[in-house]
Amino acid sequence: MADNLYNLDEFNMSEEELFSPVDRDSLESERITAPRYSYWKSVFRVFFRKKINIIVLSLLAVLIIFSYVYPAVISYNAEVDPYVNLMDGSAKHLTPSQALAKFGGGIKWILGSGASGESTFDAIWYGSSISISLALICAAINMLVGVVIGAVWGFSRKFDVFMTEVYNVVANVPYILLISVIVLIMSASFWSMVFALTVTGWIGIAYFIRTQVIIIRDREYNLASRCLGTPITRIATKNILPFLTSVIVTLVATEIPSYISYEVFLSYIGMGLKDMSLGKLIEASQNAMLVPGWEIEFWSPVAVASIIAVVLYVVGQNLGDASDPRTHM
Amino acid sequence: MTKYLIGRILRALLSVVLVVAVIMIMVYSFLDKQSIFATDPNYTKTKLNGRETYKMQKWEEYGYLDYIPFSDWLKAELKAGSITQEEYDSAAKLGKNYDTDSAETAHFVQLFKEKYESEGYEVVRLPGQTKPNSKKYKEGGNPQLYAYKDIPILKRLLTYFTGLFKVDNIHNAESVEGERGLTFTLYDPVYGGNKFSPAIMGNGTNHKYLLYFDEKFPFVHQNLLKIQLGKSYSVNEGVDVFDTMTQTQGALEYSTITYPSGVVEQTADDLHTATYIAGSREKGALNQRYYVDDYTGVVTAKDGMSKMGYSFLIGIISVVIAYLLAVPLGVLMALKKDKLVDKLGTFYIIFIMAVPSLGYIFIFRAVGNAIGLPTTFNMNEPTWLMYVLPIISLSLPSIANLMKWLRRYMIDQMNSDYVKFARSGGLSEGEIFSKHILKNAIIPVVHGIPGSILLSLTGAIITERVYVVPGVGNVLTTAINQYDNGVIVGVALFYAVLSVTSVIVGDILMSVMDPRISFTSKAR
Repeated sequence: MADNLYNLDEFNMSEEELFSPVDRDSLESERITAPRYSYWKSVFRVFFRKKINIIVLSLLAVLIIFSYVYPAVISYNAEVDPYVNLMDGSAKHLTPSQALAKFGGGIKWILGSGASGESTFDAIWYGSSISISLALICAAINMLVGVVIGAVWGFSRKFDVFMTEVYNVVANVPYILLISVIVLIMSASFWSMVFALTVTGWIGIAYFIRTQVIIIRDREYNLASRCLGTPITRIATKNILPFLTSVIVTLVATEIPSYISYEVFLSYIGMGLKDMSLGKLIEASQNAMLVPGWEIEFWSPVAVASIIAVVLYVVGQNLGDASDPRTHM
Repeated sequence: MTKYLIGRILRALLSVVLVVAVIMIMVYSFLDKQSIFATDPNYTKTKLNGRETYKMQKWEEYGYLDYIPFSDWLKAELKAGSITQEEYDSAAKLGKNYDTDSAETAHFVQLFKEKYESEGYEVVRLPGQTKPNSKKYKEGGNPQLYAYKDIPILKRLLTYFTGLFKVDNIHNAESVEGERGLTFTLYDPVYGGNKFSPAIMGNGTNHKYLLYFDEKFPFVHQNLLKIQLGKSYSVNEGVDVFDTMTQTQGALEYSTITYPSGVVEQTADDLHTATYIAGSREKGALNQRYYVDDYTGVVTAKDGMSKMGYSFLIGIISVVIAYLLAVPLGVLMALKKDKLVDKLGTFYIIFIMAVPSLGYIFIFRAVGNAIGLPTTFNMNEPTWLMYVLPIISLSLPSIANLMKWLRRYMIDQMNSDYVKFARSGGLSEGEIFSKHILKNAIIPVVHGIPGSILLSLTGAIITERVYVVPGVGNVLTTAINQYDNGVIVGVALFYAVLSVTSVIVGDILMSVMDPRISFTSKAR
């Protein structure tokens, strides 16, 4: 207790300076002494409250390390590495145990070898990095364009009439046709695939957002807000966007796996990337399904693609739940 | 309502036309014309000028441009009678280049040039290329003269849509024996003339039989109105896309029929498909044995179903299964929200949504294979078991999708005021769910029913590939890979019409189910 005692003389202040009456402050009395609410802090608090999210998130971290860091660490060269054992007939189509026996231990051969004697494990992670990048970039572009245009689409009635007709036309052009034409014109490179998947991909998202905006736009509180003279940009950002956050995050959660799935599908019908992405790997190894003992070449890329998709989906879905302010109590 | 519907249908038709226009621009203008030769073995065999004209011929066949060689024009003029045989003979031989043309030839070359240049064609003269120290032309080095013009998109659209429906009439065939006209018979001569089977036959028409009966579903058949979606070039040469999708496939089906000449034979020929081919009877000895006129173009009967038949059969069964299972399961999930059933269902939905479709179809196939189901479709030895895996592979994903939405809609409805009111009024939970919530929640699901039925006509790409089903799903992808522009446009039109129709029918169905929904009132 003694430590807290001060000798007032030490401050060299007059009596008036040390003690002065405080007025009643009406503003101060209105202050709420509850803890400050921060939206994103609450989102993460709710997100990490669930134990499963921590597990899934660490799984995601492992996947990302393997797909982006692992190929860099072993300095994987997609031009050379898959063909190192091309001339060695005994290195092809090995099961994991055979490959481990032939090439010695190490993580590289735990999934066996493929049709040209390459390590399935290396090929899968290199492919995953391409597939994940493709999915993330396409999702980012489509979401950005789709949400902005969808918001305008929902607000403006004139734009609505026009865009609905555009949607009717674009949505009816077969997707495979569009993609194959673009790929044929621009060659099957990574960026032309991004272009093909995003050139009309945003319109579905924009349509979804438009419907959501229309539902919320005419609610009473927005009507009241408009009557009070709130500018339209403020209504959009402060009244409607918070409602849409969880919808948008949920949409992202379903979009990303769908691009991975789509990439696999396109490769399967022969219109995919030139690079050895996951889809291309699955397509290239489907003949191995016909030979007993070689199935693992096909199942391992399928399994990795599925795991990546499921993990991204679960993270996104739970982030979507957490980003809904109604769960922040 | 009628006025609104007419407006909707007109707008839908407009968007279908626009879709076709967009696709035509894509395939005819954006794609490199050269790419059709990438896998063409004949292309590498041609040389010099021969290669140029070969390219022109192919491009005309694929519908890129209008190509008229000098010789064709001369022949047409000869046929029309505007030049004589002697003039034709002397004009037909082109010189090495303009300067070495004979006077006769030069005259007609000039006429040809003037005529087509005034019509906006590009006239090209390829000079002959001779062997060194010789007057003989190299292989493919013959001089060539031709005119070509790109077909403008509007003209292309117009000709496409005007040629979409074709009604057969008695003035179609060029020259027929006997009087042009229609005959009605009660005893179809194909069955020997004794069996009662009414038919309308034409003379002068394209098809001999315009209306007839047989034992195959739907028993009454007609050849009067033909839908022409676009002629195939490389996928199924010379046959219209619509016929490609609807023709029967499989092994030949033999039956005893009576040919027009009176010969009775065990054969697979389907005389009801007979079409007019000018001068065909005289050319073939077999035709003379069987036929009495030029209606000799018959298609053989096959015992399998058509591409569309297989796709639709598999599709429709899986749609029915999907709705029958998904509705009760979705309701159960909503009813037991956050219980074990709901969690299992959610896991299943996540699995279907996240795993690439190729992945789970292969998983279904592996499981099916393990329990002994046939994993490939065999038209020659059809069993009902071979339909099982394709149907399961199609219905399981759509069950997940339906369940997901139904659960969502049910749970949204559960918090509504009317449900609280019903509960406070003392209704049992079962009553509330079946009579109040489900009725409201099922409406958006109902909207999708026409779509899923109609779109099962278009087949499923992956499922049909994995199980080797001879369905329509792969027609589009094959056409794209083989640059068959006619098929691409035709299939795309078919898809567009189906999807536009299904939205309209879905809206109507929805407003029938729920009287509150009205598309006519202006207020939104």
